[in-house]
Amino acid sequence: MNPSDRLIVGQFLERKSSLHILDPRTKLIGFLLFMIVVMLLDTKSGYIAATLFVFIVLQLSRIPLTLYIRGLMPLLPVVLLTLLYHLLWGQGIGEGIRIFWRILLMVLPASALTATTRPLQMAQGIETLLKPLSKLRVPVEQFALMIVIAIRFIPTILEDIQRIRLARKARGFQSKRNLLSPMIEFIQILVPLLISTVRRADQLTLAIEARAYGDGRGRTVFRRLLFKKPDALATLLIVLSLSIIFAIDMLFPY
Amino acid sequence: MLVFDHVQFYYRRGQSVLNEINFSIEQGEFVSVVGGNGSGKSTLAKLMNGLLVAKQGSVKLDSIEVSDPAYTPHIRQKIGLIFQNPEDQFITTNVTDEIVFGLENIRVPAEEMQERVDQALQVVGMTSFAQASPHELSGGQKQKIAIAAILAMRPKWIVFDEATSMLDPASRFELIQLMQSLHQRGITIIQITHHMDEVLVSERVLLLDQGCLIFDGRPDHFFKTLPLESYGLEAPFALRIHKRLDWRGELAADWKGRAASQWLNR
Amino acid sequence: MVKSIKKETTAETRVGWELHDVSVQRSGRDVLQRINLTLTPGAWTSLIGKTGAGKSTLASLLKGLIPRFTGQYLIGSQPIATDRKGKSLVVPEIGFVFQYPEHQIFETTVERELSFALRMRGDSMSDIQKQIQNLLPKVGLSEDLLPQSPLLLSGGQKRRLAIASVLIANPSLLILDEPTAALDPVSRRQLLDLLQDWQQEKGTEQKRTVLFISHRIEDVAEYSDRILLLHERKLLAHQTANELLLDHSELLIQSGIPLPESIQLLRLTEQLSGMTLHPASCREADVLREVEQIWQIPQEGAKHESF
Repeated sequence: MNPSDRLIVGQFLERKSSLHILDPRTKLIGFLLFMIVVMLLDTKSGYIAATLFVFIVLQLSRIPLTLYIRGLMPLLPVVLLTLLYHLLWGQGIGEGIRIFWRILLMVLPASALTATTRPLQMAQGIETLLKPLSKLRVPVEQFALMIVIAIRFIPTILEDIQRIRLARKARGFQSKRNLLSPMIEFIQILVPLLISTVRRADQLTLAIEARAYGDGRGRTVFRRLLFKKPDALATLLIVLSLSIIFAIDMLFPY
Repeated sequence: MLVFDHVQFYYRRGQSVLNEINFSIEQGEFVSVVGGNGSGKSTLAKLMNGLLVAKQGSVKLDSIEVSDPAYTPHIRQKIGLIFQNPEDQFITTNVTDEIVFGLENIRVPAEEMQERVDQALQVVGMTSFAQASPHELSGGQKQKIAIAAILAMRPKWIVFDEATSMLDPASRFELIQLMQSLHQRGITIIQITHHMDEVLVSERVLLLDQGCLIFDGRPDHFFKTLPLESYGLEAPFALRIHKRLDWRGELAADWKGRAASQWLNR
Repeated sequence: MVKSIKKETTAETRVGWELHDVSVQRSGRDVLQRINLTLTPGAWTSLIGKTGAGKSTLASLLKGLIPRFTGQYLIGSQPIATDRKGKSLVVPEIGFVFQYPEHQIFETTVERELSFALRMRGDSMSDIQKQIQNLLPKVGLSEDLLPQSPLLLSGGQKRRLAIASVLIANPSLLILDEPTAALDPVSRRQLLDLLQDWQQEKGTEQKRTVLFISHRIEDVAEYSDRILLLHERKLLAHQTANELLLDHSELLIQSGIPLPESIQLLRLTEQLSGMTLHPASCREADVLREVEQIWQIPQEGAKHESF
């Protein structure tokens, strides 16, 4: 699998775009606010406005839309499952589509966020935003490193899945053509995947320790986060657009 | 000086991995630790900087117990470790971040970091990859970045734990050359390997078999006296030739000299 | 259904696998360029090339793991089977051992891992038992291991298990992608010998067919009937080991593959003695014998000059 063929949530892509230069905290807060707005949306017009907003954000990242869309493919089984659930036990197809739409509105900005933010900066952003919690003895720095590693592992885990599936296919496994078979296959792959991930995690722990990572206290920081003019402007724009989306949602109840 | 004193280690009680290991390595040496698969050599590497802790006996670097938690950052800064699998030692998703990670841990001031990153990348010849992501690198290149990440911490010792075993011949030669140039810069090199041609570049060999230290001495002595096959190893070609052609010892000696120099100049 | 596959297998064993002008593209770039080759049944063919030369892609293509390519791939003079969209289908009778085989173990016990391919094929339980009993001694695994979790095996055992679970289906063509990587020299030789014994096993109609991928020619030269040399996505040579190593070693140098030391010695001896040597084969023993003979003839002049 070629990593440049698709964009997976968590993967960073080096580009020169207005999103890339923003402070990670700006993007994180913007993302969080947008999530809250999406949760509150009630009407079709609201959804359309939010979709338009996501579309503009994706365009600003200077990453082709097709990469984002192909990156959604691994999520397909989960999405289908929710759709199916709502068809059978929920409130029918309309509700199913609404949930599906909502997932898109959350996942796409999430991949835009991680694609335009270096993982280490992201961790730093989260760390500074959560700093007050360290007074309550929450291990904020370790949590931040955990996020870096989790992000670093996403493509590796996808490769592992691919590898195990190929090995099964090469030894005569054929997936049956029914709705349940992707799920059954997923469960069968889960055990070896878990084992290989634990093995990798073990190795990585050694690599981290070997480079003098201690309790995380008192590390120095290479790139200091700076809240600059573009960030102020971006924050303003985000708050403005989100208010507009919210207003549309309230005013045009379709 | 790195001193192993009556070291014993096991993962499961009763299944000893290392037994009664005694040796010391001086600052500035170039040492090969050899042995077949499962001889305990990787475990030995992890005991050297306290990633594993001896069950009995002690491991000391310049008279400090390497597993003493109070000195952990100090020890890890002094003695770097390069692992076998280039894939599983990348912590971040970007070359510069990767090198910076260790520097942040040992509290290098931020102003100094860029300089150290540039320097380390220059030594391993990867300057143009400063912003690359691990996906774009080959196995050999990943190992070079791992080395740069250790170098930036300015260690006195580097342990290569079968760092070449997953690489193709060309990358392997490059890595060995890099080890030699680091040695010339005054860094102590300890390489764990089962490639006998790599042993030829070192000054001293330790042979492990089933957790015991069987041999500690000069490479020529090592190749002359030991039945390598029975330890899962194979004599280098030059030596096999030497044995076949002992009535023309001079030719073999010349061949060995040429082979070694050709090999190093590749 | 099962029976018909077996019949096809015997038919194919006679005809072989042919690529005509095959190219593979990925992200708009060629990863294989106009490959033409025929794999002869009953031969051990080794595929040599540097990292990135396209070895793994070529192997995956033969197994039918690359859905789209240009050119023609014939198995027993039949084009490779495709689905409705024209994508190639996996070729069931080809066995494929991936790089680092021990990382592809996915079952919960040794026995289930071994029997996976047979269960997928629909063999009966008693047949499966028989085949497992038959294979175990050949791959150096003991019967006590069968109910155990593969996790508890040693590194070497895991690798042999992973390879055994491909061998067990008796593939018409066995492809191995660098199966000896990271093994110590003695384990490497053991594994190669094991594979050779399997390839030349008595009681089978003819020798089995093996495609062995490696980046070290000295490891496989003695085992190979033929060698494929890939360089920068193109096929540079398809010759016997003797032809390639003794007559066309410049091709190896050109593609960045270090010559085996025995061949280097041969060249050096030629240089020092001023004579052209013709060893019986490229096997290390034969090369050494030839070199020995040359040096038994006193070459005083040459000798003094060079030392």
